[in-house]
Amino acid sequence: MTSEPIDENLRWILSFYRTSEISGALFFGQLARSMRPGPVQRDMTQHFADEAQHAHYWTACLEQLGASALRLGQSYQDQYIMAAGMPVNLMEVLAITQVFEKRVFSQYARHSRLLDLHPVVKKTLTKIMDDERWHIEWIRDALAGMRDDYGEDVIAATLARFHAADEDVYAKTATEHQERIDYLMAHSRRNDSK
Amino acid sequence: MERVAEIKAKMAELLSQPVDALGDDIELTSLVNSSFVLVEMIIEMQEEFDVRFTQQEVTGVTTVGQLVKVFADRLA
Repeated sequence: MTSEPIDENLRWILSFYRTSEISGALFFGQLARSMRPGPVQRDMTQHFADEAQHAHYWTACLEQLGASALRLGQSYQDQYIMAAGMPVNLMEVLAITQVFEKRVFSQYARHSRLLDLHPVVKKTLTKIMDDERWHIEWIRDALAGMRDDYGEDVIAATLARFHAADEDVYAKTATEHQERIDYLMAHSRRNDSK
Repeated sequence: MERVAEIKAKMAELLSQPVDALGDDIELTSLVNSSFVLVEMIIEMQEEFDVRFTQQEVTGVTTVGQLVKVFADRLA
């Protein structure tokens, strides 16, 4: 455990990650329960188990840094639905998740590139990113398997709709939490100049 | 009419609400803490009634009555 208290911005960011992982686990857990047994349900079960594990990793990470998690309200995923409209079938759920998982991976990758990153945070990000790669893969494969059912054009249009929403939500989140983003960017610039 | 009652009963069960609380004019978002609950409910109801909707079919649906009608029309 570290003796110095961590920066409040870092505490907020790690708590934000944790809240998103919890929301993802609960969402997929509920969905998996309502689905018919089969390969998609099997992979979704693994997916929500991973997300729950990730939430635990972030809790443990915060504790190792001498901090407790912040209780945050609305998760990033909630804003997706508000921006893109509610997914109304399994294909749309997988499409929105695919877009979301790519955003998560990109954010974690960006965070992990900070050179003065605490080793505990770095280790946590690395562990989670290994799982996230598989999440993106299984959903991509599942969507490919739905082409006959839903139509390739419909799937492509759905992904495009959620990509557009993703850009909006990310921009809105960045504006709303500018101070946190500045914290990350300041660290990035410091590292770039090294 | 029987179908409408069946749809509402399932909706009430999935939202953990009494059927009486599901008036036709009630906004769906007022019944849940998170929009994810609504997604789960709609998908689970499609599984239950063995139907599948597209985005276009539910666009503009915001109230209990509108959602019940979408299901009832499909099941008619």
